Formats: sequence, C-alpha cells, structure tokens
Amino acid sequence: MKKTFLLILINLFAVNLFAQLKIDLVMSSTPPAQLSEWGNRREVLTLIVTSQPGLNIDYKIKAEIKTTDGTVIGTSDLATVPVFRNSSSATIFTATDVLPLDKMIFTGKYKNSLQRTGKLPSDNYSLCVQLVRPIDYTPASEVKCKTFYLASTQLPILMKPYNEEVLDAKQAQTAITFRWTALLPRTTTPVSYRVQVFEVLENQTPVQALRSNMPLLDQEVKATTQYIWRPQISFIWIQPGDLDGDGTFDPVGKMKKSETGAENNKTANPKYPGKPFIWTVQTLDDHGLPVTQTDGSGEARSEPVVFFVKDRAKVKDEKN
Amino acid sequence: MPKKIIGAICCCLFMSLPGAEAQDVKKLVEVSGTAGISYEGYGLSRRPSGWLGYSPRKPWNQVRFNFTPTFKFGKNFSLPFNFNFAAIPTNFAGPYAGLAKQNFGQFITNPMNNFGLNPKYKWAELQLGTQYLKYSELSTGDIGVFGAGFDLRPGVYRIKFFTGISQQGVNFFAGPPSVTGAYKRQNWMFQLGAEKEGKYLVALNFAKGKDVASSSAPPPLTVRPQEGFVMSLVGDVYFKKGWYVKTEGSRSTFTKDITTPYNPLIDDFKPFIRARTSTVTDYAVQATMGKKSANFDIGLTTKYLGAGFQTTGYPYLQPDRLDYTVNTRFNAWKKKINVVASVGQRVNNVSNTALKAKQFIGNLNWYTQFNDHWSLNVNYNNFGFQSAGGINPYGIKNVSNDLGVNPTFTWMNTKMMHLLSMSYNYSKYDERDVITGLTTSNNTHMVLLTYVPTYLTKDLSPDFSAMYFYNDVPAAKISLFTLSAGLAMPAAKNKLRLRGQLQYTLGKLNSFSSNNNLIASCNVDVKIGKKLTWTSFMSTNYFKYGNEITPNNANYLESNVRTGFQYRFEPRKGK
Repeated sequence: MKKTFLLILINLFAVNLFAQLKIDLVMSSTPPAQLSEWGNRREVLTLIVTSQPGLNIDYKIKAEIKTTDGTVIGTSDLATVPVFRNSSSATIFTATDVLPLDKMIFTGKYKNSLQRTGKLPSDNYSLCVQLVRPIDYTPASEVKCKTFYLASTQLPILMKPYNEEVLDAKQAQTAITFRWTALLPRTTTPVSYRVQVFEVLENQTPVQALRSNMPLLDQEVKATTQYIWRPQISFIWIQPGDLDGDGTFDPVGKMKKSETGAENNKTANPKYPGKPFIWTVQTLDDHGLPVTQTDGSGEARSEPVVFFVKDRAKVKDEKN
Repeated sequence: MPKKIIGAICCCLFMSLPGAEAQDVKKLVEVSGTAGISYEGYGLSRRPSGWLGYSPRKPWNQVRFNFTPTFKFGKNFSLPFNFNFAAIPTNFAGPYAGLAKQNFGQFITNPMNNFGLNPKYKWAELQLGTQYLKYSELSTGDIGVFGAGFDLRPGVYRIKFFTGISQQGVNFFAGPPSVTGAYKRQNWMFQLGAEKEGKYLVALNFAKGKDVASSSAPPPLTVRPQEGFVMSLVGDVYFKKGWYVKTEGSRSTFTKDITTPYNPLIDDFKPFIRARTSTVTDYAVQATMGKKSANFDIGLTTKYLGAGFQTTGYPYLQPDRLDYTVNTRFNAWKKKINVVASVGQRVNNVSNTALKAKQFIGNLNWYTQFNDHWSLNVNYNNFGFQSAGGINPYGIKNVSNDLGVNPTFTWMNTKMMHLLSMSYNYSKYDERDVITGLTTSNNTHMVLLTYVPTYLTKDLSPDFSAMYFYNDVPAAKISLFTLSAGLAMPAAKNKLRLRGQLQYTLGKLNSFSSNNNLIASCNVDVKIGKKLTWTSFMSTNYFKYGNEITPNNANYLESNVRTGFQYRFEPRKGK
C-alpha cells in the first residue's frame, strides 16, 4: 500500500514538472540538405520552451535524429551541450541551439556522409527533442518529434550545346537550341531556370567573361528544360582577328601562341576554334532566390559550358 | 577614382609608344605585341513607348584598353605586359554582380580587368598583378588573383608560388539595382614538381582561399564567408609511340561558413585549415590514358569528384559525379576520311543511391572528302539522362538525339570557284513527365543552303544562304525562314577591308501572325600605317512581333557600334 502511494506521488510530481516545462517544435518538412545551413535559416527549426511563472529550472536540450524505422543515427552529446535556464517568458531556440553540430554524435555511414558532404543521405528522417535535467539527464519535458525529408539538390547539367561544340554561324544566327536536365529532386513548388549566354571577349578566359560581362541572353523559363534562342546577332565578326597585322583576317589554323604574357597565364593564350561563348543555367526557387547557396559559388549556377560559333562555309572556302 | 587611373595609365602607355621606336633603344630592346583602345556603344529603342518586353544586353557605353607588349632585353630577359581593362563595370554574375561604382581595390581585382606583368630571366619568372594561373585540373585554374609570386624552372624542377586577392569586399545593396555583395577573398597557391617536356610531369599542388568575414557591411544575403584548401598530386608520363598516362588525385577541405564553431569531431588539415561544423572533406581523382599519332588517337578518361569536393580555384565545379569517356580520332582512305567519336557515361549524385542520375553521352563526326568536288560531313549526338523520381511517381528521363548531314560540292572555272553546301539537322528531344509518366517529343528540323562564289580575278567574296527551321512541341510550333547575304572586299589598295551582311528572318509561332527580323551589319578595317589599324563594326537589329505578344506588333531597334585602334609592336628582323 505504501509502495503504491509512493509511486502515485512520484508520478504526480513528474507530471507536474513536465507541465511546468512545455515545448513546441516547429520544423520545415523539407529543410536544406546541408545541416550547417539550418542555423542560418530561422524558418527551418524553432523550439519554443515555456514554463510556469516564477519557476527556475536548468535544463539541456536532447535531440535525436532517427530514420523511419526508429534507428537513432545522431544524438546530442549531453555531456557537452550547454545548460539553459527557463525565463519568465517563452524561450525560443533555433537549430544552432537544438542541433549544435559540434556537439552531435553521428553513427556509421551517416557520420561519414556528414564529414564528406555536410549532408545526410537522401531519406525521410525524424527529429525528436526533449529537455533533460543537467545532472542526471532525467526528462524535464515531454518528447516532441517532427518528420522531415532530406534530398541533396542536384543542379541542372547542361546538355546542348555540349562543351566545346562548334556551331555553324549561319545556323546560329537564326536559332540556337539550349537543353539542360531538370533540377533534382523535382520540388513541389516550381523552379525557374535562367538561361544565360556570355560573349567571351578577346583576352578573356571563359569563366572570366561569365564573371565580368553582361549576358547576351538572360531568359527565365519555367517548367521546361529547353529554350530556343534567336540571337539576332551578326556573327560576321566571329572570324579570328588580324593577328599578323597584314590587314587580312587569318585562317583559324594560323592562330599562334600569344607573346603577351606568361605561358601559363590563360588570358594570354586564347586558342579557340571560333568565336567563344559561355552559357549556364541559374536555378531559382519560387522566391527568386538561388535554390542552393552553400554549394559551389553559392549562385546556383550550373557548371558553365563553352561553345564556339564559326562560319564553316568561309573556312572551307579558305581551305580551297 | 578608376577613371582617373585609367586616364593616367593611358597617357603613360601611349606616350611610351614613340619612345619604344627610338633608334638607340631598338638596338637594345625588342618589342612585340599589341596595344589598343576601343569603344563600344549600344542603343535600344522600344515601341510602343513604355513597353519593356525586351531588355538591353550590352552596356550603353564602354571603353576598353589593352596593352600587351613584350619587351625583350637581350637573349635572356623579357618583360611581358598583360594589361586589359574597361572603364565601366558590367559584372552580372559572380562576386561583383551588380556593382555600379567601384573603389580602387575593386577596380584592380575586378575580373573585367587584368594588370599583369611577368618579368622573366632565363628560367625565373616573377608574376605580378593579375594572374590566371592554372596549376592543375583539380586544384586551381579558373580564378584570376591579383598579387605577386614566382614561377621557377631550374632544370627539370618546378617551383611556383603566388599569393594575392581574388575578390574585394562588396557591400550588399537591396537596390534597385541590387548588388549581390561579396567577401574579400585572399588566396595563395604553391606547386613543387619536376617536368621534362614530352617525358613526364610530377607535381604537388596546394591552393587556398579564405574570405574575410568582416570585409563587407552589410554582408551578402545568399553567400557565407568561406575557406577552402586543396592539395593535389599530378603525375603524367609519356611513353614511346605516342602512348601517355595522366593522373591527378586531390583532396579538398572546404568550410562553407567560417562563422560556424570549430568542430573537433571533423578531420581537419592543420596548419592549412581547421575544421568547423560546416567543414567538409572529400576527394577527387582524374585519370587519362591513351595514344596519339598522326592518323589515330584513342583515349580513355575517367573522373570522379566526391560529393563534398569543392575548391576556390574552380567555383563552378559541379561535384558528386563519376564520368568515364572513350574518345577516338582517326584518318583513313589516304586521309580523305576523318572520324572523331566519343562515348561515355556520367553518373551524378553518386553519394546518394536513392536519386542517382545517369547520363549517357555519345558523339560522332564523320567527314569524307570523296573527290575534288564532293565532301560529306555526318554528325550524330546522343544525350540521355535518367534518374529516380524521388517523391514523384515516375522517374526523370530525357533523351536528346541529333543527326546532321552536310554535303558540300565545289567546282570552278577559269574565273570563279563555287561552293555549294547543304545542311540538314534533325533533333529529337523526349522528356518524361514525372507526374503523369507521359513522354513529350520535341522535334526540330533545320535545313541550310549556302552558296559561296569566289572570284579568281576580282577581290570580291560574296556569300548567300537560305535557312528553314521548324520546332514542334505539343503546345508550340515555331517556324523560322532566314535569307542572308554577305560581301567582303578590299579597297583603297588593300588599305581598307569592308565586310557586310544583311539577314532577314520571318518567324511564326502557332497560328499567330508572323514576326519579322532584319539585321544589317558591316565591318570596316583600315590600315592607317604599317603598324596601326582602325577597326569598326556596326550592326543594327530590327525586330517586329506579330500578335503573339501583348501589345501586338511591338518592335525594337537595337544598334551596336564597336570601333578601336590597334597598334602592333613589331620586332625588327635580323636584330
């Protein structure tokens, strides 16, 4: 009888304590794949802790990431996570406090994946959060869980014109077809693709041109992975310039190594089979922002591709 | 500030030209290369007034300068300049995107501008100013750095070092016009190796870039301050009979946000870089082996970039992929047949088995010269892309097939030579809808006929072409018909070279009324002196829509002028 009374008393005490610390977990169902990015975006994860007024309780935040079968793949290192004290008003925590990556222990392939890529493998996960007491890690709140889906964004790959493709000037003057692969994975909200073409000027490297010049084409397209560009540009100036200064335009084969700079300085060595252009696709979300800001240049621009425009009929004529 | 600097530099440079010609100096100094100044103007007029459906695509005014002579002092010392710069910033992508007014530091390091100087004495080269240094495919190569360094090549040894700034801090500005903003980035790179040209190359590369977090205020919204370190080992060997093997292995350690706390749980690379919670470490490998000869090439290339592989030297590199390609080139039938072909596969998202994407790549170009009159070029390209659907019911599947046939017939008599060329291209692009599973086909046909007569007794070079383009997708049918004519001719005893072109295109979308496009352009090159050339290019583009857009019959007139003087330094023969 005494034992039963004691158990009821302990349970009542525990329930009372839980009621004093209440937590609400708000989380995006599709957070960024890069876990370190969670702390930079408040909308990804918010934990709200509230308690009864006048109550001073110290606690730590215990977070666990689980797979769909319940396997824990990452957990807070409770020995090192910071201690918090409740305040009279609600305390709001973000991912930086709930999931401090330098104090999280991941297991097996997940640890390896996180170290190599900063991401977890694409899958459905759940995040469970509970407040615990600093000394013995006994529960100080109930457990709140949220499920989320992680998918590493793969930017489009440029397909056509392919790298270093030489286009005929006569055809290119009328139309150039651009094709690329879709953003992976397909998102629920539509993305926009900005197709951009930059002219590579003399003494510029292709990437230098991309980072310097105004684009000749900057076209936003939605829900399709092809764009037919009508350049409306006269390509008659595409022939190589007057390199030997004799007043005539030299055939491509005559192009020589520039003497203007170091041999390993790429700007000084433009050996192109035609007039070079560089194109890329920038992928934007429904807010007009780059879909990924932590990979590569942070601009969500696909790896650019160079193509050339050459008047083939003229070249054949010169050969003859 | 930059305008004053440009003015001062120009004065100095052009004042120095006559000095370089002085007779006494010539005996000691040999100068080659070029110097020039060019202006580009752009105009756009849109109708009806207030319609903004077509955007300008060039700066209204731009002045560009280039000064790239090489001074040679005796046999062993040379001083090449590589100065190329523009007056007005036009950055659209990258760290300086949207920058309208630049300070001195931004002007100097803007990728638009190069200020490079590479004095060289025998095997020792000093590298000063802007340098685009490519150490290897997997370490650094795409980024220009403004700073100082050296490239020493005593015997077979290679010792290179360079340090400087690849970008200055740029404050974020919401606009309009908006400025993306950037952090100041400091870079250094080092190479130690040995090379015997045509025999072998072994080199160890190190490259690092680090942003200064406090260098912009307000900071960029979409970019975090980063730090990256890469180490790579390159080994190339060339054997007899044209066989070769080239390899490179690389390890990158990249911190995506240097404001995140240090993380002892992640492997770092002290003393070069210390790991933070946003640090990733991954590997990349590239290997090529093959044979090159006059009539036959074959090569096998494989490239693996780990998902976390990232370098500051190649900012647009797309990681997480595995490529393998076999390519070949051969001549046959007394070199009358020339074939270039490649076949390969790219696997993307290698680290993520759930959404792994595969891309097939195949190219073939077959050229045959049957006789003095007939030649035929056939090309075929195939790209296929396939990936699992993820949360969608169907996976992604895109297949692109392109076939081109291009016969050419030439004939001549005593007065003229004629070239008649016909091209037909068929392109089919199938794309599967990931929701319905239905595949839509996108078919394109293109026919081009070109005629180029060449007068043997006159200096006239005209050319004529007609082209038909048709693209058909379920919702849109586009047809374009183009007529084009060009003429090139010298004048004024070959001191003047004129080229002009006229092109008219009639376009039609579905059942809308036709749109019209007329492009006229001409080049005028004038030889003012033996070493001085004045080149000009003028182009105008008039486009009038049908009723496919609102307002109906909207139109625009676009004009572009480029004109410039180019001076060529010429070393005296026999000196």
